[in-house]
Amino acid sequence: MDIRLLRASDIPLIQHANLENLPENYFLKYYLYHALSWPQLSYVAVDVSRPPKTPYDHPKIVGYVLAKMEEEPADGVQHGHITSLSVMRTHRRLGIAEKLMRQSQLAMVETFGAHYVSLHVRVSNKAAIHLYRDTLGFKTEKTESKYYADGEDAYCMRLDLSFLREQLREAEEEQKEKNGTEGVDEGEPVGDVGRDPAAAKSSEPKIKVKVGRALGVGDLVEKVESKAS
Amino acid sequence: MAPQTLSTREANLFRTVIRYYEDKQYKRGLKAAEQILKKNPKHADTISMKALILNAQGKTEEAFALAKEALTIDMKSYICWHVYGILYRTNKNFDEAIKAYKFALKLEPDSHQIQRDLAVLQVQMRDYSGYVQSRFNMLKARPQLRQNWTALAIAYHLEGSLQQAENILTTYEKSITSTPLKTDLEHSEALLYKNSIIAEQGDIQRALEHLDTDCKNCLDRLAVMELRARYLAELGRKEEAAKAYRALLDRNPEFSDYYKGLVAALGIQEGDEESLSAVYAEYAAKYPRSDAAKRLPLDFLSGERFRAAAKAYLTLMFDKGVPSTFANLKHLYSDPFKKETLPALAEEYLSERDASDTEAQGNSDSSKGKGAALYFLAQHYNYYLSRDLAKATEFVEKAIELDPKNVDFHMTKARIFKHQGDLAKAAEQMDHARSLDTKDRYINSKAAKYQLRNNENEKALATLGLFTRAETPGGPLADLTDMQCIWFLTEDGEAWQRRGNVGLALKRYHTIFNIFDVWQEDQFDFHSFSLRKGQIRAYIDLIRWEDRLREHPFYSRAALDAVNLYLQMYDKPKGGANGVDGGEANGEDASERKKAAKKAKKEAQKAEREAAEKAAKQDPNKAQKSKDGEEPKKKDDDPNGAKLAATTDPLGDAMKFLGHLLQFSPKNIEAQIAGFEVFIRRKKYLLALRCLKASIALNKDHPKIPDQAARLRREVSGALDSLPPKAKEVIEAELAAVPGA
Repeated sequence: MDIRLLRASDIPLIQHANLENLPENYFLKYYLYHALSWPQLSYVAVDVSRPPKTPYDHPKIVGYVLAKMEEEPADGVQHGHITSLSVMRTHRRLGIAEKLMRQSQLAMVETFGAHYVSLHVRVSNKAAIHLYRDTLGFKTEKTESKYYADGEDAYCMRLDLSFLREQLREAEEEQKEKNGTEGVDEGEPVGDVGRDPAAAKSSEPKIKVKVGRALGVGDLVEKVESKAS
Repeated sequence: MAPQTLSTREANLFRTVIRYYEDKQYKRGLKAAEQILKKNPKHADTISMKALILNAQGKTEEAFALAKEALTIDMKSYICWHVYGILYRTNKNFDEAIKAYKFALKLEPDSHQIQRDLAVLQVQMRDYSGYVQSRFNMLKARPQLRQNWTALAIAYHLEGSLQQAENILTTYEKSITSTPLKTDLEHSEALLYKNSIIAEQGDIQRALEHLDTDCKNCLDRLAVMELRARYLAELGRKEEAAKAYRALLDRNPEFSDYYKGLVAALGIQEGDEESLSAVYAEYAAKYPRSDAAKRLPLDFLSGERFRAAAKAYLTLMFDKGVPSTFANLKHLYSDPFKKETLPALAEEYLSERDASDTEAQGNSDSSKGKGAALYFLAQHYNYYLSRDLAKATEFVEKAIELDPKNVDFHMTKARIFKHQGDLAKAAEQMDHARSLDTKDRYINSKAAKYQLRNNENEKALATLGLFTRAETPGGPLADLTDMQCIWFLTEDGEAWQRRGNVGLALKRYHTIFNIFDVWQEDQFDFHSFSLRKGQIRAYIDLIRWEDRLREHPFYSRAALDAVNLYLQMYDKPKGGANGVDGGEANGEDASERKKAAKKAKKEAQKAEREAAEKAAKQDPNKAQKSKDGEEPKKKDDDPNGAKLAATTDPLGDAMKFLGHLLQFSPKNIEAQIAGFEVFIRRKKYLLALRCLKASIALNKDHPKIPDQAARLRREVSGALDSLPPKAKEVIEAELAAVPGA
């Protein structure tokens, strides 16, 4: 199993893994939306050991994490969100989910300056809750009742990423000392950094994106209709 | 006829029409348009706007009729041409849309909107030189926007003009007066994009320098690290490359490429097992939770070294009860020694366990330890390179005895039944496994798949329905189709085909074909979206992937199924009605099939009725939830594929699938074999020959080749008079070199 960054060519088999494993499914375009908005954040676990039968064989995806940054955070704090995470039943107990999560979390901080990462999990999903809470250190924020299409409640969980920000800062200090150069800019993200200015200006009502269900990217992303003027 | 001009009041009204359209308030928009048309019935622009609104409401034909009418009234209106283009675009006729946009642009060269619409279509259609031109114009109009510079660079890049792409990016960079923020993601990504263009030109030295200076603060840390390692390795700067790969391994010790990179940089020879082991051992010690560091050495170790490493690895995996252990090691079976050693080690583990902890059982997890080893051996004897199904059964039963409720064990038992050829029992067993964990969709999917393999389409759909969304009108099938569930559509189609229901089989294959069309169109929005997001490297990755989208095995499997089914239909035109009863029907088999087909038809009708009833029972408010103007979902006028099955030109229909198959998967020998079969029936002998030659090049020992060669020779000599002499000459010369012909 390799753990590596998602590539566009992985997406059909990521969608396949999602459909096999989880009841919350999405159009391919929704995966593209993640891959093209935050390409640094989504990771896959792939089985590269089997010899390909044709030159067109794609490596089998045995696990994936699909992650994003919250586009317009209600609390104004930059943070990541886990849209979907699953590992094939046949490939459990190898710590794949944890390893996928850790890679994604690191990139959230490095690339997008995330302060925390949030997610939803079914209240009945003991294994996942164990991973998030006990292994990764997530805290339960609240319970969202009937979050899932079948009526089940979700725990909203979040993990403070200060520890990664701290690590990063230390590494940078070290680097600076080594190079003897001074920092150019230490400012926090301001203005439209990391955001889509066009979307911010758009007068369309905000669309709440539920993890529980796919919306077309058209709905999520932008108005594509041309204006005849 | 002279176009009418509007009074001030109506001109204002016209602007509100546009606004209503943009806000998707279609009813109001139509009303306002009618108001204008009452006084000015020949106002072409208003007629066009009306067409646009109707189109948005799904009234395509009416829309086109109106748009054409508007154009006959006023050929010189750019609005009319633009609308005409939009109609074509929304109906996926991109070539015509491009033509209309170009007319519109000729009439109104300064329209940013039209230029943008045209540009997007050009890149969608891969008209790169047109795209360069458009992006050039757009940059000229608005050079202050970085996006416009980046976009022109992308256009040059895709066109293959790498140097120009780089120049454009550099020109913009030089124009920046203030230092961009370190957190400016667009800037960071533009730098890395430029770096990728430098590398693509082959100038690795310069790429590395650029990376070390301009990109050293880029926000995508991983990309910088990976590129650095790669460049250093390519430049032969081994010591630094090793350091770079070590840094990557510290970040992620589960990626085999990093180990390979490190090993190469360290200059370790391929057979030097000791030095290789040392590298991996170092990381296994440093990162005890890393699986790769412990598992990968099994690939290159041999003899006693392999034995020792495998023993340690298996012991660890069995103790932890890792279910994928066999799956992760079975690729080693191409080596006979390893194939012997692994099961022996598992047996050894079992006997050691038996000796040590006969008393220490208690409440421990029985999928770990002994159970895991038994499970490994069951899979070993079930694997095609080491198959002994009696032994496989023995081991899986022992495992089940130990842990009767273990889903994985029961799953493997089902697989053993499948390999014994008992599909019914396999399906039953898999469904039993499912019943042990009804909250897990994975086992649910497997149970449904086994039901499909046993031709139980209805049962499988009911199984899957336990997890699909209950609210989707049309039930599980509609939900699985909406969600683009290719595996189900393929297996369902194949099962219908085995049952002789040509209609439903074709229906599923065509659905898959259409999903690939959707996936291709999905890129459309990203041509402009990605420019705003600034994630250009990801966008280029998308474009390159979309260009070879249909090489995916998802496509080739369904396409091959469809082509082969069409071939059968051509060879044995069906007697039965409704597309049911295709295939090779003879004797007892035929009556059996007919019965099955009849039953299938009844069931399909029943399912349809139920779906209709269910839809009717839906809360009317909910059903109408689609807002004013939202595209109404088109009703499928051929849900059972009866029309597809009733084709009079199966070979022509097969071409739809075959074309992409040969274009995107030319190295798939099954595609070439199927291509030959279609072409020879269509008497396209040169094309048939081409497929045959491609097959021979791929695998000259393929069993079908001698037969195909002989048939082609026969056909060609029979077609003596109808073939141009030149063609015949070529074919015969080529055939002479073909074995068996």
